[in-house]
Order: sequence, then structure tokens, then C-alpha cells
Amino acid sequence: MASVVTGAQNKRPNPNSTSAAATREGDQLIITPLGAGNEVGRSCVYMSYKGKTVLFDCGIHPAYSGVAALPYFDEIDPSTIDVLLITHFHLDHAASLPYFLEKTNFRGRVFMTHSTKAIYRLLLSDYVKVSKVSVEDMLYDENDIVRSMDKIEVIDFHQTLEVNGIRFWCYTAGHVLGAAMFMVDIAGVRVLYTGDYSREEDRHLRAAEVPQFTPDICIIESTYGVQLHQPRPVREKRFTDVIHSTISQGGRVLIPAFALGRAQELLLILDEYWENHPELHNIPIYYASPLAKRCMAVYQTYINAMNDRIRTQFANSNPFDFKHISPLKSIENFDDVGPSVVMASPSGLQSGLSRQLFDKWCADKKNACVIPGYVVEGTLAKTIINEPKEVTLMNGLVAPLNMQVHYISFSAHADCAQTCGFLKELMPPHIVLVHGEANEMGRLKQKLVSQFADSNTKLYTPKNCQSVTMHFSSEKMAKVIGKLAEKVPETGESVSGLLVKKGFTYQIMAPDDLRVFSQLSTANVTQRITVPYTGAFEVIKYRLKQIYESVESPPVEETEVPTLIVHERVTIRHESDTYVVMQWSADPISDMVSDSVVAMILNIGREGPKVTPIEEKTQEEMERMARKVVHSLMVSLFGDTKFGEDGRLVITVDADVARLDIKSGEVECENQGLRERIKTAFGRMQGAIRPIPKP
Amino acid sequence: MGTSVQVTPLSGVYGENPLCYLVAIDGFNLLMDCGWNDLFDPSLLQPLSRVAKSIDAVLISHPDILHLGALPYARKHFGLSAPVYATEPVYRLGLLTMYDHYLSRRQISEFDMFTLDDIDAAFQNVIRLKYSQNYHLSENGEGIVIAPHVAGHLLGGTIWKITKDGEDVVYAVDFNHRKERHLNGTVLESFVRPAVLITDAYNALNNQVYKRQRDQEFIDAILRVLRADGTVLLPVDTAGRVLELILILEQYWAQQHLSFPIFFLTNVASSTVEYVKSFLEWMSDSIAKSFEHTRDNAFLLKYVTLIINKSDLENYAGVPKVVLTSMASLEVGFSHDIFVELATDAKNLVLFTERGQFGTLARMLQVDPPPKAVKVTMSKRVPLVGDELKAYEEEQEKIKKEEAVKKASIVKVEEVRAASSHLSESTKGDSMEIDPTSATASPKASSHFRGQMDILIDGFTPPSTSVAPMFPFFENTAEWDDFGEVINPDDYVIQEEDSNHMVGNGKSLDVKPDEASVHLLLDSTPSKVVSHELTVQVKCALLYMDFEGRSDGRSVKSIISHVAPLKLVLVHGSAEATEHLKMHCAKHVCPHVYAPQIEETIDVTSDLCAYKVQLSEKLMSNVLFRKMVENEISWMDSVAEKTNEKVLTLLPPPSAPPTHKSVLVGDLKLADFKQYLSTKGVQVEFAGGALKCGEHITVRKISDSSQKGGTGPQQIVIEGPLCEDYYKIRGHLYSQFYLL
Repeated sequence: MASVVTGAQNKRPNPNSTSAAATREGDQLIITPLGAGNEVGRSCVYMSYKGKTVLFDCGIHPAYSGVAALPYFDEIDPSTIDVLLITHFHLDHAASLPYFLEKTNFRGRVFMTHSTKAIYRLLLSDYVKVSKVSVEDMLYDENDIVRSMDKIEVIDFHQTLEVNGIRFWCYTAGHVLGAAMFMVDIAGVRVLYTGDYSREEDRHLRAAEVPQFTPDICIIESTYGVQLHQPRPVREKRFTDVIHSTISQGGRVLIPAFALGRAQELLLILDEYWENHPELHNIPIYYASPLAKRCMAVYQTYINAMNDRIRTQFANSNPFDFKHISPLKSIENFDDVGPSVVMASPSGLQSGLSRQLFDKWCADKKNACVIPGYVVEGTLAKTIINEPKEVTLMNGLVAPLNMQVHYISFSAHADCAQTCGFLKELMPPHIVLVHGEANEMGRLKQKLVSQFADSNTKLYTPKNCQSVTMHFSSEKMAKVIGKLAEKVPETGESVSGLLVKKGFTYQIMAPDDLRVFSQLSTANVTQRITVPYTGAFEVIKYRLKQIYESVESPPVEETEVPTLIVHERVTIRHESDTYVVMQWSADPISDMVSDSVVAMILNIGREGPKVTPIEEKTQEEMERMARKVVHSLMVSLFGDTKFGEDGRLVITVDADVARLDIKSGEVECENQGLRERIKTAFGRMQGAIRPIPKP
Repeated sequence: MGTSVQVTPLSGVYGENPLCYLVAIDGFNLLMDCGWNDLFDPSLLQPLSRVAKSIDAVLISHPDILHLGALPYARKHFGLSAPVYATEPVYRLGLLTMYDHYLSRRQISEFDMFTLDDIDAAFQNVIRLKYSQNYHLSENGEGIVIAPHVAGHLLGGTIWKITKDGEDVVYAVDFNHRKERHLNGTVLESFVRPAVLITDAYNALNNQVYKRQRDQEFIDAILRVLRADGTVLLPVDTAGRVLELILILEQYWAQQHLSFPIFFLTNVASSTVEYVKSFLEWMSDSIAKSFEHTRDNAFLLKYVTLIINKSDLENYAGVPKVVLTSMASLEVGFSHDIFVELATDAKNLVLFTERGQFGTLARMLQVDPPPKAVKVTMSKRVPLVGDELKAYEEEQEKIKKEEAVKKASIVKVEEVRAASSHLSESTKGDSMEIDPTSATASPKASSHFRGQMDILIDGFTPPSTSVAPMFPFFENTAEWDDFGEVINPDDYVIQEEDSNHMVGNGKSLDVKPDEASVHLLLDSTPSKVVSHELTVQVKCALLYMDFEGRSDGRSVKSIISHVAPLKLVLVHGSAEATEHLKMHCAKHVCPHVYAPQIEETIDVTSDLCAYKVQLSEKLMSNVLFRKMVENEISWMDSVAEKTNEKVLTLLPPPSAPPTHKSVLVGDLKLADFKQYLSTKGVQVEFAGGALKCGEHITVRKISDSSQKGGTGPQQIVIEGPLCEDYYKIRGHLYSQFYLL
């Protein structure tokens, strides 16, 4: 395995799009966003290289429902996908997975981290329950989720896995608990898919790691475009100040937040703030998410995926055991008297508890709504950020929007500075931007183009279903091992052996070593066949000698019975008066020789014993005969052929004259084509006239 | 040439001593495990002490004393400073194990091999890895990749794969191929043909009973005692196999709704389980799955009570109960004390789940027949009272004073020096000269008793010339400004740093200190160790059941022959077991089997030659691969060309290459072939080890004894008279192979 890694380090395949036509199709690397191309939501990126196919993420678009929310799966054939990698549990990255696993012909393998898998299960069950759409619009049900759980495999951070020649491992992404960035290595070409990532360490998560290897392609999120985050302490201060001032004026604070992920971070902030401000202790904080409560066990278990700070706290008491925050089941249980702080999902205010509270509170200017993270285009939360005069309530009525709306981003996405810094450290030759609105993405692209102006970096911003094609002319390296490698050959020396390909590694070895270096083994098949024959053994010998150049007969003392060996391949033993035994080791040539020997023996048998005078022809006679035969054959092939004065054959075809030396086979001719033809013809004639030579 | 590999055992060969081996790969010294035994016998570490400084990296495979016990000592005394690599659970549970042993030792003796701080220091430079994480070593280890893989046996248990230039060295000791309640089986079998395999012969001669049967017997034995009002003592390890036992008991108690109390008593019991709860990623698939579905953490214990103090057991004195307690050797600690209490009552049972280490009480009790009586030393740390306390206090006082004096005298001397150099001219005559040497030269004993007052006088010799000797007096010149004396505000800051630092230190290691350990750590009340010997009549039942979680002899053999290393090194195991396995493997696995002695260096550099070539596109376009299992294979003829001084490129040959001897690739199993023929409508049967096909044709495999398990090709013979069947069956036989 390591040889691949080191090999790839030394020799990174060079992209050469100029000679695209010359490269073979397999060298094309194709990246197609099926979702999240120039948009935020339904992340799904398809990648294919050398016949291996990887799909990153499988989300839904939160602003749509039903099939419309899915990525464009019909662009691809799900059955061809080898590996599906899910970066984290958010709906826009994982929620179409049950559909993809259960309702399509996908047969590959799915991987996600341990904590992602544990939360995925809870989150999607909740999603199915909450999204009360009509039955035919339902993409999947609870059972599909349970079934999908059995198909999902887990991967730990940094663990390297290999499926079907695709090697991949993941790094901490810092976005939410269990969020990962995947590095995929196919035949030495590395692709990094960041998913959602954050390079800033917060209260419970680590910052995204910078991979130790430079990827050839980096598929990176661009959610925040060229925006810059405020420093974390400033944001936290703004957040707590807004809340503090609102409640001290008797107002209510609504924080619409997604149940998992950033909500935990906000709760940690609030709990700490309340702890430090005893005067607030009588103001209740509600957290309306039974789901989050259920997920607490996951947060408490996978502390090893979090940062050192939280693990240190964990040593004393569970930091997720909040002292000042009480759970809220539904709006019916909510006793709305006086100031309070309520955190409720969904984050986009589409429906559910956060929307109910919003409808209730939006007309009062004492109240405040703090939007703590990125909001998707098309949701109410996005609309109210622009502070319109009026909003439409769930019941269709229009109400004035008097409550204050604050947008304080805690979303753990990288901002422009982080993205630029990250890419600067990695310096990937190809950057593909996904997961960002077209405008933001465009601006980020401009920024990156200027940043990487002096390097050879290429930037792509494909739309959904728009493919990006790159070419990697890979140099295949092989390792010669074993007996074959005892001497390193010089230029011009030949190397012959078995080429064994496993995954994308090549080894060349001698056949004898196959068993040593691979699980394969070789075999020798010895064939032994009895042929009925009643005649004299000498006859066989004579006839064989006519056909084969090498017929040995070792002395009888060694072999007990009269024996003939043809071409050192086939042994014929005269074991009894009624039959001979032939033995050879199977291989195509020996088989052929043996077949001819068998045919000959049978023929002798049929013809009956016949005394043939033994006429040993002299070498000279043989030669003369050969000359005659060659001459007549040449005449039949080329027409005008005669013997020249120097004993060579002169062949005249149209204007071209060729001279053939029958002894050495050399041909002298101006015309290249004719010379080759005569050479070939002569080679064949020689093969026919002379006895079969020893190989 | 291949990578050079040398193996030198430092401990733990031809016997059951702790594991510690030196593996040098191209001059980079890796220490595989750094074990010690329960007795902490420093003589075992002699070989390690000689090489400790030259070690570049330490790889730890299991979190128990036998695999990592010597880390703190080696770090403190031998200067072992190399980075240590281990998985997260090995790090964490190993740390807890060390604490537990230290505290147990400390309670009964003036244990001074290492301290808690030494343990912390040794574990601070542990680099934690995940399973199958390829970690690339840097600097002089450049090119070496280490990767931990699942070993089974203990939580986080590791078999190490060390790769350099495509050659694998696999270190696999104490692995378990069987899946258990909390652990997955080892993945060792997925490694094929490593250059070197280092493994243990510990279990080569043992065979296990069927797992379910063993579990049932285990429960039965315990219940029998409990129902007869007895107490069961299970001496276990701190944080290893005990987890499996806890799960067995929990599961059975839940199934049968039993109410007998179970106690898990170690110095670190509660933190152990707390940490184990957060290691679900490292456990078996079934545990992970149950958590994903129901969020029920298997180690949220319902029946087992975690206690860290033996006094908690006192309330249950007469009650039948199960006590799991650490120190499987029974040498020290809770298990030792409880054993002494229980041994005299025939109702009770001491159930051993692992073989005791050599020379320990547990081992003595495991012999057959068990001894009637054993001699034990009961030791106890008691607070000092009365005269002793007084003496101790005086002693402490003395030490303190001595230190103070030393400090004071040093300070004084310095001051005086400074002063005298400052004022040398004017005050020389008047000042008394201080002779610093005389202070130290004066008999210590006297200074002890005379105390501080005396020492001020002692050591001063008034110069004979002086009339009125006096101490040098220096006026304290203070600077004044408009607001009074100039002060340095820093002098008045309350020093918090120290205490913070302490806390921070503890926190950085994430260790939740248990009450007991805190108690012991912070316990500054003077105490001493009182011991007396007594003979204990062993009346209680003794039982040994194998819950060690190691592959048994038969499985070990089959795994090794499946892995089929090119070279095999055997370590850790009794002399007989090692010899037995060596003989077996030499015959059936590979010709190169080594079982070195301590400090004997063996060279297992593979005699393998290898070089790299580049395959040109032209050549590859002519190659037609055939798929076989997971490989693709083809015959290739080519011509080498040196493009630049380093890279060799293979190009297609300019002329038709000479024919090569054809190769049949494939693995023929006669039984499979029989199946195949019968589907083709050929009458087949086995007769005398050969396959009789049709009436006349036989197919045989020649098993040459010297070839067995070797690397030669298989020999297959097909024979029969000349007939149509012959060619038909030959055709079928050929179809089982790829002809290249």
C-alpha cells in the first residue's frame, strides 16, 4: 500500500488537457454536481475516473419537498457507483440517502463516521415525522431508514479503507459532530471533498485539519463566498448582548436553529452566560427539540471526536448537561408569560414550532429573532433578514413585522479568509467550487483567480449536471520482483514475465514466483496417454525422425524400456508389445507435438508393418531439393523468378528486382514492401521444407 | 535489495516474561511493546536498558502490564525518549492500568520504581492512532509507514503493520480471531504474504473448548457458589479482559433477573468504565449497531456496581456476591486481600480467568492439585500514631530544616559574597568572615539536633585580628519617588500559577481522578507499611477457565499458514510451545522460521530483489489482462530503456519475442473439479486419492512432501488410454486454468 503512496508523491500525474484526444478515455476524470452546483442544498457530487465511480453526499434541498428536493439522480446510473461517502448528518448532505439506497438500483458501499451514523438515524426519523407531506410525495418512510442503517458502513477519522481499488480516508471537518472531509485516491490521483467545513475551533469541535498530502483536485464549499466572519468573541458578545437587552426590556427571544449541530454550540454559550449572570436566573431558556435530547447520548459518547476543551470538561462533569436550559415539548406546553429565550427548529422558519412562535411574536417590537446561521434561499428566515414591513403568517394572514431581526452567524462554514488560507496551504492544481449561491460563488471564484494568478491553478464552478472533465495522463509504475529482479536490465535488454495487476498496482515477476507474491498459484499438468501399437518401436523412431529435428533415444539402461524423446517435450515409452505410453507436460506446443505423434503412431498401425528402405539423403541432395522447391514456389508467387549467376534467386516484379539468398534468407531489394513480402514468404517456405527445428 | 530488517528480543522469548522486542528497519529502531511483569522486577529490563537510548519509536499493542508496564520506568531510568504510538484505548486504558498497579503497590510498600508523575510523563508523548490509519514516520524514519489493525484480545488491541518500500513487517502478538461480545476478531488473516511476521507461540499448545459451552460453565460455576451462599472472587486485569466478563455477567443477570450483587473493584474502576463508554468505535459491530439503533450503551452497567474502595464491600460481608477485582496475580492489591479473607471458607470460589504470571500467587494456586495452604504477606499502610508519629514529624522537621538551612546558607553565602565584593575595601576589617565550607563540614548529626539557632553560629570564625566582630550589615537602599517607595507590583500578585499548573496538568491528561487516588495522592498524613506473614489455609474452591481471549493453538496454526509470511519470527511462549510451533511452521508454512533468544539479533532481511520500472503507454495498450479473483494477470514481453539515470521504462519489443514456456495459472481443488465434471455429465468418483473420470481416465494431484506448503507449482497428472474421453476431460481440466 505504501508503495502507491510514495510512488504517487514522487510522480504526480500531470494534467495535460492539450493532448486530450491522444489520452485514453480511462484517463478522464469527470466531476458532475448532481446537486449543490451553484446552489446551497442537496449536496451530491459525482466523480468518475478510470472506471471507478464515487458519489459524495446525498442530500435534499430544504426549500423543496418531494422528488423536487432530490439531487438529479437520473443523470447517472446508480448501479455503476462503487462508493458513496457521506460527510455529515445535515439534511442537505444525507437526507436523500434512504431514497438512494432503497429506491434505486445502487449496489455500492456507503460510508460515514460513527457519530454521523448514530445521529443520521434519529435525524431522518424526525425529518420523516415532521415533514407532513402527502403520501405520494414521501420519498421514504421509517422502515426505509432502518433498512438503510444495515447498509451503511462506518469509517473512523484517518482510517484508510480500500474498496475496489478506490482508497479513501477522512479528516476532521469541524462543521458539526462527526463531520468529515474525504480524500479519495484512485490510481494515484487524489481528490479532496471538503463537504461543509470550518477552520475555527469552537466550544466543542475541532477545527478542520489540513491534509498532509496535496490533492490533485479539491472540491470545496463556497457557502460564504467572499464574506468574512467576525471573530468568534465578537459574535458571541453580540449574541449575548442582543438577548440580554431584549429580555431586560421584557421581550422574548426566538432563535430558530437546526436541532443538531450549531444548536449545541449556542446552548453551550447560553448556559455559560447564564451561569455567569445570576440576575438572569429567573428568565427561562427553552430548547424545543426532543430530537436533540435523544441525540445527547451520541454527543456524550463520541467525545473523542470533539476537541480537547470539551474532553477536559467532560472529565469533571458532562458539559452537555445544561443547568439553565429546560426542554420544551410543544407549543401547548409553553407557558408564554414574560420574557424568555426559546430555541426551536426548523432553522428556516418553514413550519413547526419555530414558525408558530414566530407568528405569535412577530408583531411585537419588544421581541427579537436571532438567526444564528446560514439560511437557505427561499425560506422565510432568508426573507426576514432583509426586514420587510410585513410577513405572511402560516394561516395566510399578513402581519406587520415589528420584532427585531438579528443575523449573527455562528454557522461553522469557512469564510473567505479560511477558504483562501486552506487552499493556499494545499495548493491543489484544480479547484471545484460547490455548495454556494451562484453570486457568492462567482465572487469567490474571482477572488481565488486573483489569488492564484501566478500559479497554474484551474477553477471550476459547474452548475448542476454540468460536468467538469480533467485529464490525468497517469504514468504506470510497476515493480519487478523476485527472480526476475536479480539483475537490473540495461537499455535494450528484454524483460519478460507475468504482469500482475491488483487494484492499481503492477508487479512483474517470473512465473515461478507467482505463488510467492500473490495468492495465485501455478500448476503443471502431466499427461500420460496409452496408445495401442503393435509394430516395431524402431519404425516409430524412423518416422519421427523424418518429421522432427530432435528425436533422442536415451540408452535403454537408463530408462528400462525403449524410449524416445521428441524435442525434449514428449516422451514415448515402449512399455509393452501392444501399446506405447506417451508422457508430456501440458502446454500448447507439446500438445500439438503429441497430437501429431499420436496421429503418426495410429497411421503406422493402420498401414501395417512395412519395410521401407532407409535412404539417408546427403546434405547436398537435401539442399538441392530445397532450392528446387523454393524456386518453384517463388515462381508461383511472384512470377518471373530465375537463378542468378551468384546462386541467388532473382525475382522481378514489374520494375522492381529483388535478389534472394536461399542459404541465409537475405533479400536485396530497392522496394521496401517487396522485400518484406519475399522475406515472409521465404520464412514460411523454410518452415515447410525443413524438419521442425528445436525451439 | 530489499529493506533490511533485524529482530532482537529484549525480553519475552522461550517463556512467559513480558514482551519487548527490538525491530530495526533500515537502521530505524522500533521497540515493539515495552512490557513488565506484575512483580516489577527490574532485572527483566536489563537488555532494554542497554538499547533504550537508541530507540526511535515505540509501538504498543495492548493496554496491560505485559505490553506497556515498563514505559514509565524505562523513560525515567533508561532515557527512553522516543515517541510512543498506540491506539486511543491502549493509551487510555494503559494509563489507568498503570495507575491501578501503582496505587496497589503503593498501599503495601514503599514503592519507588516510578511515581504517578512518571506515569503521566511517559504517557504524555503517546501519539494516538486509529485502526488502519497509515501513519507516515518522518525524519530518519522517512518512508516507513506504520498502521495499527484490529487484534482482538483487549480493547484497542493492535497488530502492527510496518511497511517500507512495499514490504510488510507484521507484528501480531496476543490476537484473537473469534468475535467476542465487545470486540471484533482480528484482521490478521487479511494480510497476505508479508515479508516478516512476528508472532507469539503463547497458545500453541492450548486448545479451547467451544465458546458457548465455556460461557455456560462459567455462569454455572458462579451460580452454584452464589446459591450456596458463597462469594466468588474473579481476579482480573484492570481494564482488559474484565470488560468481556462484565458483559457476560450483565447479560446473564439481565436474562435471568438475578439479584446477587456484582462488584467491580479497582482503584480506577469508575473512570475505566466511564472511558470505555466512549470507546464504542473500537468495539464489536454488534455493540456499535445496538448503540446506533437504540442509543443503549452496552457499558451503561445495570448490575455491576463500581467501587474503588474495599471498605464499600464491608456492608455485604455475609451476602453472596461476585467480586471482580484487579491484580490477577493475587500478589498485591484488593484481590490479594480479598483472597486471604475468602480462602479459608469452603463455600467460596476463586475463579481464575487467565493464567497467572510465572512466580505469582495466582500461578501457585493454579497448579494441580492446588496447595493446601499458602504463605502470604499481609501488608497494610497505617497512619502513624504516638511515638512513631512524633518521630516521623521530627524527621520531617529535620529534613525541612536541613533544606531551609542549606538554602539559607547558600543565600547568605551569595549575599555575603556580593556584599563583600561591594564593600570589600571599607568593611573588610570589621566583618566576620564566613566560611561556607565549615558549615557543611560540621557533623551533620549535631546540626540536626541543634537546630536552626545553632547553625547560625556554626561556621563562623571571627577573624583573630578583629576586636569587635560583627555581622556585615548592609543598608537596604530603597528608591523613593513622589508617591513613596517604588514597588514592583508583581511582588504582590498572589501566585496562582502553581496550583493552576497542577490542575492543568491533570486536565491535559483527561484523567478523572478517583476518590481513592485523590485520597492517596493528596494524603500527606504520615503513614507506614506494616507487614506480617501468615499462612492461609486454602479451603475455598479454585477454578481456572480460559477467558484470555487469545486464539488457540489450532487457530494460530491455521492463521499463520493462511497469512503465509515469507519469514516468520516466533516469540513469547514456553520453550515447548515455541519449539512445537517452530517445527510445525517450518514444515507447513515457510522454510524460514526463527525463534531467537534474548539479545540474539536475527537478520530477516528478505533476500528479495526488486526494482521499479515505468510501463509505457505503448506497451500497456498491447497487454490483455485476464481477471482472476482480485488480480488481473497477463504475460508481458518488453524491452527496457533507461530514459534518465533513474527511471527504467519498458517498451514493447521491436521484434516478435521468442516463445516462452507457457504458464497455467489457477488453483485446482479436486473436489471442486469433481463437482464441475459432474455438472458436465461426466461420471466421476474418488478412488484412492485420485479422481476417476469416466471409465478409464484418472486425474491425480501429486503431493510432494517437500513441496507441501512451499512455493512450487502444483503437480497434476492426467492419464488414460487414447480415447475421446481423454481429450474431453483434458479440455475440462484446461478450463480450470488460465493459460499464459
